[in-house]
Amino acid sequence: MENSFIPLQIDFNKNKALVKRYSIKWTPTVVILDQDGEEHHRLVGYLPPEDFIGQIILGKGKTEFDLDRFEQAMQCFQEILVRYSKADAAPEAQYYLGVAKYKASHDPRELKVGLEVLQRDYPNSEWTKKAQVYSLIP
Amino acid sequence: MAKQIQWETSLTTVKARAKKEKKLILMDFYNNL
Repeated sequence: MENSFIPLQIDFNKNKALVKRYSIKWTPTVVILDQDGEEHHRLVGYLPPEDFIGQIILGKGKTEFDLDRFEQAMQCFQEILVRYSKADAAPEAQYYLGVAKYKASHDPRELKVGLEVLQRDYPNSEWTKKAQVYSLIP
Repeated sequence: MAKQIQWETSLTTVKARAKKEKKLILMDFYNNL
């Protein structure tokens, strides 16, 4: 984790400016920021280790995705799917993997392939529902 | 044995470090009840 992140701990009761700036209402809240302090992902509440790590890698992937670094984003999403496939973050990672592949290649069939994997591996996920529209792609 | 996390406490300091080291920031808000 320390290869990718600098960990910053903020006391909710002593840093009202940051609490207000990031609209923190409950603890623990973990926010993933880029180098300019812009938020790209957050999680609220305690999670088991595998789910927590999955969320942190997902946050890194979403940051890379937001910054148009699609190859790096894909590596993060694939790491979740390979190493933490049972984690709660996995369906969202699969969704964003399809989108990142599409953004990198401009080939809409990547979205449909992503949907097919979601339907096979995570049929009851909200991310499978969100990708359902890609079934219309020829 | 797990490695101890070295937590920073200043966002300003961390942003400068993150730029220098090309890393992201993991900001954890906690509350000592």
